[in-house]
Amino acid sequence: METTAQKKKYAAKDYKSDLKPIWCPGCGDYTVLNSITRALAELALPPEQVAVVSGIGCSSRIPAYTSVYGFHGVHGRALPVATGLKLARPDLTVLVTGGDGDGFSIGGNHFLHACRRNVDLTYIVMDNQVYGMTKGQASPTTAPDWEGSKLTPEGTGINPFQPLVVGLASGANFIARVSSSDPINMARIIVEAIQHPGFSLVQVLSPCVTFRPEQAEWRDIVRTAVVDYTDDAARAARRLMTDDGFNVGKVLFKGSRPPFRPEFEHSHGSVAELEARFML
Amino acid sequence: MLVTINSVSLVIAGSGGAGVVTAGSLLLDAAAKAGWYALMSRSSGPQIRGGEAAAMLRFATEPVMSHDDSFHLLMAIDWDNITRFSAEIPLTAESLIVGDPAHGEAPAGLLKNNPRQAALAMSDIAAKIENGRPNMVALGAIAALIGLPPGAMQAVVEDNLKRKGQAAIDASMAAFHAGIAAAADLPAIPQLPAVAAATAPRWSITGNEATGLGAIRGGVRFVAAYPITPATEVLEWLAPSLAKVGGMLVQAEDELASINQIIGASYGGVPAMTATSGPGLSLMIESLGLAVAAEVPLVVVDVMRVGPSTGIATKSEQSDLNIAVYGLHGDAPHIVVAANSVSDCLFTTQWAVHLAEAMQVPALVLTDQAMGQARAIVPKPAELAFIGQRLTATAAVEGERYKRYAMTGSGVSPMAIPGTPGLTHTADGLEHNEFGTPSSQASDHLAQMDKRSRKLTQFTYGDHWADIEDSEVGAGDTAIITWGSSTGPAREALRRISATGGKARLISVRLIAPVQPEKMAAALQGINRVLVVEQSHSGQFHRMLRAFYDLPKDTHALHQGGPLAFGPGQILEQLNVWSA
Amino acid sequence: MSDEVKDAGAIDTLPELLAHALAMETEATERYGELADQMETHRKTKVAAIFRRLEKEERVHLVELTHMCSQHDLPHYAPWDFKWSTGESPEAIDIGKVSYQLSVRDAVKLALEHERRAADFYGGIAQNTTDTEVSILASQFAAEEREHIGWLENFLAEAGPDDTAEDPDPPLSQE
Repeated sequence: METTAQKKKYAAKDYKSDLKPIWCPGCGDYTVLNSITRALAELALPPEQVAVVSGIGCSSRIPAYTSVYGFHGVHGRALPVATGLKLARPDLTVLVTGGDGDGFSIGGNHFLHACRRNVDLTYIVMDNQVYGMTKGQASPTTAPDWEGSKLTPEGTGINPFQPLVVGLASGANFIARVSSSDPINMARIIVEAIQHPGFSLVQVLSPCVTFRPEQAEWRDIVRTAVVDYTDDAARAARRLMTDDGFNVGKVLFKGSRPPFRPEFEHSHGSVAELEARFML
Repeated sequence: MLVTINSVSLVIAGSGGAGVVTAGSLLLDAAAKAGWYALMSRSSGPQIRGGEAAAMLRFATEPVMSHDDSFHLLMAIDWDNITRFSAEIPLTAESLIVGDPAHGEAPAGLLKNNPRQAALAMSDIAAKIENGRPNMVALGAIAALIGLPPGAMQAVVEDNLKRKGQAAIDASMAAFHAGIAAAADLPAIPQLPAVAAATAPRWSITGNEATGLGAIRGGVRFVAAYPITPATEVLEWLAPSLAKVGGMLVQAEDELASINQIIGASYGGVPAMTATSGPGLSLMIESLGLAVAAEVPLVVVDVMRVGPSTGIATKSEQSDLNIAVYGLHGDAPHIVVAANSVSDCLFTTQWAVHLAEAMQVPALVLTDQAMGQARAIVPKPAELAFIGQRLTATAAVEGERYKRYAMTGSGVSPMAIPGTPGLTHTADGLEHNEFGTPSSQASDHLAQMDKRSRKLTQFTYGDHWADIEDSEVGAGDTAIITWGSSTGPAREALRRISATGGKARLISVRLIAPVQPEKMAAALQGINRVLVVEQSHSGQFHRMLRAFYDLPKDTHALHQGGPLAFGPGQILEQLNVWSA
Repeated sequence: MSDEVKDAGAIDTLPELLAHALAMETEATERYGELADQMETHRKTKVAAIFRRLEKEERVHLVELTHMCSQHDLPHYAPWDFKWSTGESPEAIDIGKVSYQLSVRDAVKLALEHERRAADFYGGIAQNTTDTEVSILASQFAAEEREHIGWLENFLAEAGPDDTAEDPDPPLSQE
């Protein structure tokens, strides 16, 4: 067995900044932050070689709470920022963090195309089925009959978005669901997600204790998925289509599609050669 | 017509399949071989294939700044829908329309000013040659009419048809020579003299290509792209070109993604750019504000087209000035520069990369359809020293936490690029303190606002803020202030003023924002009259000048919506009316 | 046998025990600190003070333990390979169990639950190990945890009734 001295160059704490989170006490996002830092420590990645990119929302605050390079952009656009960063800097490990509204509503198109493009990113979505920063409106993953928001007092009346099914159909190369009530397993799966080439999608059931207090029950409802992951997209699709959203703690799908990774050519060309083509 | 430049202007028009676009390109290439300078614009119908099209060309023995007020020749291979272009093809009584009798009479819409008319049986002549095509017959006639040496066309046709084999080359040249022979019966139009072989080095380039080259010269190595007319050619040129110099172009899912991808790439330390047009710029605006707040350098090129909304996608207008300058919410200092000619697309874009990188700020480059999609034969542009150079932080200072947004005299803070040990931080679009930590305190907001504004106000822009040109005998008391594509006709107007011994000054503003009141004041020393020229229905540029600059009481504005460009004569006329 | 140990008796070497203890004390210290921060951020000063005090207590252990560990070459465990039966280490309070309205008494009860589990974990090792040295040290660790338990139990006995005042203000909008 490797010893700590050999292996463990970094502790989870080394990936945390001094900034104190503004999340409500009990929020699932605290646990996600801890799981990310545990995963990075386990991978012994130098903090300067990692970047966390986010958009807007409670969970999108994560980058500033880490000690790695962070980018906190605008609402819904974390995935394109991360795509540009990873393509320009393939040497970096790039994580994307955010919520269900940021990722599946305002950023929905980018989600589809990030799955399709399959850039080597790890996308951790903290799904609490609500917009917390704006005081609790229905999100794309909210049940149609949830009447807790003044915006939709009768409920939304529309079907919730199925992120993992859509992610699979769009080409995500790694799909997992975890619960914030199981932080260690989450850390293990984040490690796997980072290691798996291509676009990895990790949905975290992360309760909003303030606007969806009933989600406190999630910790008792969730169950560890019975079956291990498949690499057969058709099987994964059947499984995800029939799943009630509470099978957690396991990787559900691992694909083998090669990541989109156009290399910066080590070119011998020069600007002068480009200019020569205009010369008469 | 007051001729001060030895030039000839012509249009080749025809419906789909007539090959007018190809004919225009061949003619331009042949003119290049003959040692001439040229400008070629195109206009077309809304169809993807088979629509009516027109190639507008002006040839001269010296660099061409603009199209002329009218055309000497309209060569119509057929008349289908040609009246859609009649406003874009001004003709005079001296103009010559050449049509094919097989297609009937010229439509009345073209005959308002009683141009001369002549017939050339292009289709009949072509039919007598195996695989002969009417457009080559037309080119032969044009060559004969304008004095283009046939050898120049021979070389171009050989280059272009090499892959199709010798038979195709022979057929084309047979049709071309038949056109030359048939032109003997046509009335004369001005001819250009042949040019001695040893001319200065020249380039054949479009504005959109020049924009792409400027980006690469400036150091851009990552481009995210979403296709949009008329900017697509910038991106299409960049895709293979970037690959050749170790860069990369990625096609994004939409403009929101393009702008954010380049933000990501630039945050990663790679100078980045995208190109779009008005509708795409509208979508990018929110994230441009992010680049301002997070201080991420990048360049966005807006090849302007007629707006609002989808407007007229294939035609030009200078009406995105307001959105470029004022479109961002909050107080968001950024750079807006405008190219004023086909070749200036290169200079201005390269300069924009330099400015963006130096100030860690987004820079918008405004070009337009008229210059972007025009091809010109121009003097080889000068080598420029501008290379994007970003102030970076490379090493941690012992015992000090890195401040990404540190207060500095210049406002520019050394930027740590991911991968640099000890300098990790989070770049943020939320207002922040010097460390980048989100802050809602007034003091942090005001300090960061001052800093972001200071970067732009304290920068030395040099003489590039505007192109200032006087007539030969001096500036006199009259100035034309213009920008972008309107500069071409204004330049030629100045040239004509010069030719009659008149005096005027041309100020073509390249640095639209931040404004340069002191420099403008110096440029307006001794000027009592100003004519503002712009292609915007509401006079966006005029309003901006009024807001930021002290203009003489006697200031007039010549502004009209697109897509019709100003002719030099229209500007002169305005000045003359005013003097009278 | 203790419920807190996944694989009873599996810890039979001093380095293994120390690696577990170090991970657990580190996590407990950090977790109490984290919870104190959360409560301070939300102006729950009384609850924050409890967690802050526990953080300090744990840090004393941690410093001693770190010193002790420096003499040994410890094996590395991935977070999911430790031999406690729960996910996180037994002494670390589950973040999902706290809330904005957590009372002082409930905070102490939570801490007590986890301190007891920590004591049980060490106790289980002491009982099941085949190594005398491990057994002695694990017992000593268990005793230290019991000191915390004593303190917390006394606190509960002496503390008055909870201040159950509700926050009359609604949650605020942010971004």
